[in-house]
Amino acid sequence: MKNLVKIAILLFIVSSCTKTPDTQNINFSFGGGVFVINEGNFRGGNGSLSFYSYDSSKIFNDLFNSVNGRPLGDVPNSMAIKGDKAYIVVNNSGKIEIIDQATLQSKATISGLISPRNISFVNDYKAYISSLYSDSVTIINLTDNSISGYINLRRTSESIATAGNKVFISNWTSGKEIMVINSANDRVVDSIEVGVEPESMAFDKYGMLWVLCNGGYARQNYAELIAINTATNSIVKTFTFPTKEASPSCLKTDGTGQTLYYIDNGIRQMDINSSDLPNAPFILQESGQYFYKIGINPVNNDVFVTDAVDFVQQGNLLLYTGGGSLISKLKAGIIPGSMCFKIRINS
Amino acid sequence: MKTYINREFIYNLRNTILYIVFFLSIPLQGQISTGNDTVKIKEVVIERKRSKSDPAGYRTTILDSSVLVNYNNRNLSEMISENTNIFIKTYGTGGTATPAFRGTGASHTLIDWNGVSLNSPMLGQSDLSLIPVGLIDDVQISFGGASMLLNDGGIGGTINLETKPEWKKETIISLNSGIGSFGQFTEFMKVKTGNYKFQTVTKGYFQTSENNFRYLNSEIGSDPIWQTRTNNQVKQRGFVQELYFNNSNKITSARIWYQGTDRNLPASLLTEPNSGEKQFDESLRTMLNYDTFKGNSSFSFTGSWMLTRLNYFNRLASIDSRNLSEVLTLKAAFENSLGKNIKLKIVVDEQSGVVNSNNYDHKTTRNKTSLTASVDRKKGRLGATLLLREILDKNSLLIPDFSTGIQFRILYEKEYYLKANISRNSKVPSMNDLFWVPGGNPGLKNEYAFIYEISYEMNQIISDALILKYDLSVFRYNIKDMIQWHPGEYSYWTADNIQNVNSSGAETSIAMDYVFNNLKASLKAGYSFTRAIAGGSKSENDIYGRKQLMYMPENEANTSFRIGYKNIYSLWAANFVGARYITVDNSQYLPGYFVNNLSLGVKLQLKGSFSDLNFGIDNLFNIDYQSIAYYPLPGRAYFLKILVQFIK
Repeated sequence: MKNLVKIAILLFIVSSCTKTPDTQNINFSFGGGVFVINEGNFRGGNGSLSFYSYDSSKIFNDLFNSVNGRPLGDVPNSMAIKGDKAYIVVNNSGKIEIIDQATLQSKATISGLISPRNISFVNDYKAYISSLYSDSVTIINLTDNSISGYINLRRTSESIATAGNKVFISNWTSGKEIMVINSANDRVVDSIEVGVEPESMAFDKYGMLWVLCNGGYARQNYAELIAINTATNSIVKTFTFPTKEASPSCLKTDGTGQTLYYIDNGIRQMDINSSDLPNAPFILQESGQYFYKIGINPVNNDVFVTDAVDFVQQGNLLLYTGGGSLISKLKAGIIPGSMCFKIRINS
Repeated sequence: MKTYINREFIYNLRNTILYIVFFLSIPLQGQISTGNDTVKIKEVVIERKRSKSDPAGYRTTILDSSVLVNYNNRNLSEMISENTNIFIKTYGTGGTATPAFRGTGASHTLIDWNGVSLNSPMLGQSDLSLIPVGLIDDVQISFGGASMLLNDGGIGGTINLETKPEWKKETIISLNSGIGSFGQFTEFMKVKTGNYKFQTVTKGYFQTSENNFRYLNSEIGSDPIWQTRTNNQVKQRGFVQELYFNNSNKITSARIWYQGTDRNLPASLLTEPNSGEKQFDESLRTMLNYDTFKGNSSFSFTGSWMLTRLNYFNRLASIDSRNLSEVLTLKAAFENSLGKNIKLKIVVDEQSGVVNSNNYDHKTTRNKTSLTASVDRKKGRLGATLLLREILDKNSLLIPDFSTGIQFRILYEKEYYLKANISRNSKVPSMNDLFWVPGGNPGLKNEYAFIYEISYEMNQIISDALILKYDLSVFRYNIKDMIQWHPGEYSYWTADNIQNVNSSGAETSIAMDYVFNNLKASLKAGYSFTRAIAGGSKSENDIYGRKQLMYMPENEANTSFRIGYKNIYSLWAANFVGARYITVDNSQYLPGYFVNNLSLGVKLQLKGSFSDLNFGIDNLFNIDYQSIAYYPLPGRAYFLKILVQFIK
């Protein structure tokens, strides 16, 4: 009986234990590098923040939890830096975590957003947030970290690209339009019909907006790469992918704006003056890998690729030279996704 | 989530519990040899014959009315978790609760109603939170290979919910009302009347709960804050009508069971709390049985038609998912004794399913037919069973399944048994696995498992006052071609036969019943250790080897103690669930929990009536725990129940 009592007491202690933050990663490098947003599993609450340090050539994982003693949230999707602050958009938690970009300590949390996806700073005081489910773009007041309004697009939104007072927002899910907003008065001023499901966008060196349309979630249509003249809001180039099976995503440009990069059965690159789509990847996706997102170092054109592997175990951050040679493969969090460069690296 | 210190502690705890279980069994064996040999003859209830006659070599457990009576106002998940070693993964009161036997998944567990599967043809599993215990007369739990004696597909096991007549000339009217914390209100009604030839039983219920409990949220800010759970309401209603006709050696029965449940689905602590998620579950189940016995032969026929509606809404995500499924089951069984010691049984089972869902391309049908032959031989102290099953699915024959069991009665006069069985059991993919858009994979193969089990069972009357039951089982499952959803070629997930799982472990339980004059006491305790590891995926990045499956506790224990003196009684029930990993690489886990429930009651017997007033406290020590990460469960809660019964 005495043993049973002991067991009961011990079991009670077990059941009462509390979680403690893991502090092993707090001493990460404060130098330049790239933040990696690990999405984690939907409703798993295991999204996290990693940082690859150029100084040490190491990756530091689970940083937000380590520094702040609480999980980052459910499905963090993207991150952007403005001044000394970094803004992490946490999709399924409906919030933006604002942290100090150097110490990673939480500064504020903006909650009450509907399925936010990406953030774009339209000026020093205002940012736009796209939404996977809502028909409106949310306006954030950067001064007091509050929601200051909404812009009704009558459609959902995904990628945001800002050029002066013109903000281009793609209508990704089941859509085929780029909405144009005047950020001076937060009004929709135009829309541009593009291919099916414009997923990602990037500006080239001439200010041309390139839009990658993936053709639909089940590739019902041909994917397209489209160039838009942002002065006239007109399409100037259209490249149609050769088969419906092509599944391009995650369009980026290098630091000069001369070369486009995207994922399509590996990583492909294309000069903006090219008359054809590249017919082969310059970085091959190997068996067992799942290339999920890419980031191009704006200074030295290093190519960072996140490999989600099987979407349940920890993924990898792959670092290639601009020529496509593998430099390192590092273990990141679960479903490593989009990346955010902390500073321009000189190398 | 990284409280690593608990790992070592729980390992030590497991050893301690195992030690105590074995320690207890030694002196009890000593008592057995000097025990009283008086044999108590149990009350004989004439009922439809079922496979409960325990073919040699298999392990089944019955939770009878003496257990069920304590859970009349509860759902099946609560009773199972407190009284068995089956792990229940639950989103909380009223939320989805699914069972896991011995390291297998929810879709590997069959929930049967009088031998006919209740598992959704779409999901391939059942939600135990939707089944009120008050509608059931007893629960038969078949572990591993024993499940094959009832149905196909229950790789982990089968929980068979039984309703049965009592052939008495008697009328009983029962009203059972309950009120509890967090806006809980329950009302059960049962009217039973009839004679030796005819019985009718009507049951109806209504229950509602706000589930607006307070919890400490330490996930959303630097300082924990108290919050109230929102969007967590449940409203459930239903009725059962049973008719039984007994004509000498022929028994005919008809049953109908309707229920509907509206529930709002609360958000994870990390997600947007006002997503407006809600679900409506509705089912209409009908069943006709005909059983006849003649000499050494018996024949039974069961026809069942079940309609299940599941509508899911998510305002935020603009999801309006509407799903309607119908299943017609026709089952015929013929049983005959071949000579003095051998029984032969042939079962033909035909299931036709139709699914109408806005998540499928079109209305989808499915047919599955199985033929099962089994032979059971018991002679002297030895017994053996051989079962063969052939399944015809999608017009193709599957590789036949089999099960064979042997048992050895250690002594003639005593109920000490050694049992062993080996089985191969198949499970066909669910309709969602095959046809869900997007991601369903019509090319899926069926899952199958090789199951090995050895057990020791004893059932001993120690004295007129004391009865002891004890069992110990070790098991191993090799599950092949397990179906998992994973990211496909495009940006959505798809179903595939992706990995193998090996699960092995041990489970033990002990039960003691003591009756002396006006004192009645019953002590039950169980412990299980399960190591369920993925045995290698087909991915080259396989990191699964030697890792425990997510949400699969290695350690689980339960115990209950019921004591009654004259008309006063008390029940203490406790459930321990060890740590569960929440990532496939086992880097994060939820800590274990130990939940205690206590109730006190008084019974009053007046002429022609009986009443029972019961007050209880759930989660007595008010512990903060989660079954699924970031879904808090209620702290201490109180309830009051009043049962009034009129008997004539």
